[in-house]
Amino acid sequence: MNDEVGGNKRRARFQALCQSLRPDLLRFAFWLSRDRALAEDVVQESMLRAWKAQDSLLDETAAKPWLLTIIRREYARTFERKRFPTVDVDELIAKEEPMLAAAEEQDISDVRAALMKLPDEYREPLILQVLMGYSTAEIARELELSGPAVLTRLYRARQQLRAACGEDLRLDPQE
Amino acid sequence: MTDHAHYRSAIMADPHDADPELLEHRESCAECRAFTEQLLRFEARLERALLVDIPTPRAVVLPFARKGAQAPRRWLAMAASLLLALVIAAGVWLTLPQRSLAAAVVAHMAGEPDAWQLTDVPVPDADLNAVLKDSNLRLKPDAGVVSYASSCSFRGHKVPHLVVQTPSGPVTVMVLVHEAVRKPKQFDEQGYRGTIVPVPGHGSIAVLMRDLNPGSGDVERIAARVDDSIVWTR
Repeated sequence: MNDEVGGNKRRARFQALCQSLRPDLLRFAFWLSRDRALAEDVVQESMLRAWKAQDSLLDETAAKPWLLTIIRREYARTFERKRFPTVDVDELIAKEEPMLAAAEEQDISDVRAALMKLPDEYREPLILQVLMGYSTAEIARELELSGPAVLTRLYRARQQLRAACGEDLRLDPQE
Repeated sequence: MTDHAHYRSAIMADPHDADPELLEHRESCAECRAFTEQLLRFEARLERALLVDIPTPRAVVLPFARKGAQAPRRWLAMAASLLLALVIAAGVWLTLPQRSLAAAVVAHMAGEPDAWQLTDVPVPDADLNAVLKDSNLRLKPDAGVVSYASSCSFRGHKVPHLVVQTPSGPVTVMVLVHEAVRKPKQFDEQGYRGTIVPVPGHGSIAVLMRDLNPGSGDVERIAARVDDSIVWTR
């Protein structure tokens, strides 16, 4: 009886945790994959893996980075299982038009389109930094990169985004 | 001493970097201060751009197993609930089962646009076997070129999702061992034409073609050929 009550509480707590983090996890998976349907599948599958591996989560306050890591691995596994041909970014943008164009302002839509075109190696650390609030050290640990490599990718990510959006890119005002 | 280029490179990597040297340079350089303000305006746009709307929450399905004995006083209530659920499920099953299955198959296709590439490059045998082994089947060598193989989540189960290249174009095959159907069901929805055929003892197989493929009317014949190409290992 006590086991059952404990199990129910555990399930309820885990379910509540997943539901509360779901928007962030879905956004992360969406920007990782640039495909809403794939993002939903990856998040769903990750939740199942998380439930099975929940004993490895020692600190509930670390649930979000723990789940993000599971999502990254699940997304990578999707690529291992599937043979994706070359991605046509314009097709991706057209496919996700309803989600991307939901912003009322054109400048936000422009940034979203530029994000869709950003190479994966630049987009991923940028999402972790801006959307998930990761520090450079945390990104380096998650992506298994050195700190300087992360900073270089973040710099190039912003450089490409800003160029795509017509921003001033001069590093030296004398240029 | 931090110069403009160093400052701007660092701040582009992390606009909120609070390194004292960077802060000192910003204080002393009006141009870099203006650059930072412009960058922070862009950062706010970026943050808003990343916050895409999230669709209506789909229930998080978790594999919660109910273990342990139930309290005796709950038996009657549980049995009654279970019976009611079975009656409702049976009613739904008898009225709309195959239509909903076909719709689910078509909906799954929408999330897998990359599967429809016309190609003669086969999936490596190891990848194909990995996808098939969990469903206890293999394909005969004459099945045709399998150009795509994935183990997909479908209605709570992992199912093999294959694309076989045929003279009529790419054909998608989903092996649905958990979905029993009583008789073949043809469907033509959202640009996909297909059939779901029963496989006695092994659920069913869904075979789909894009409606724009020439010869897509042959889908039943192709389904029969696919069925013949499968060897069940258990």
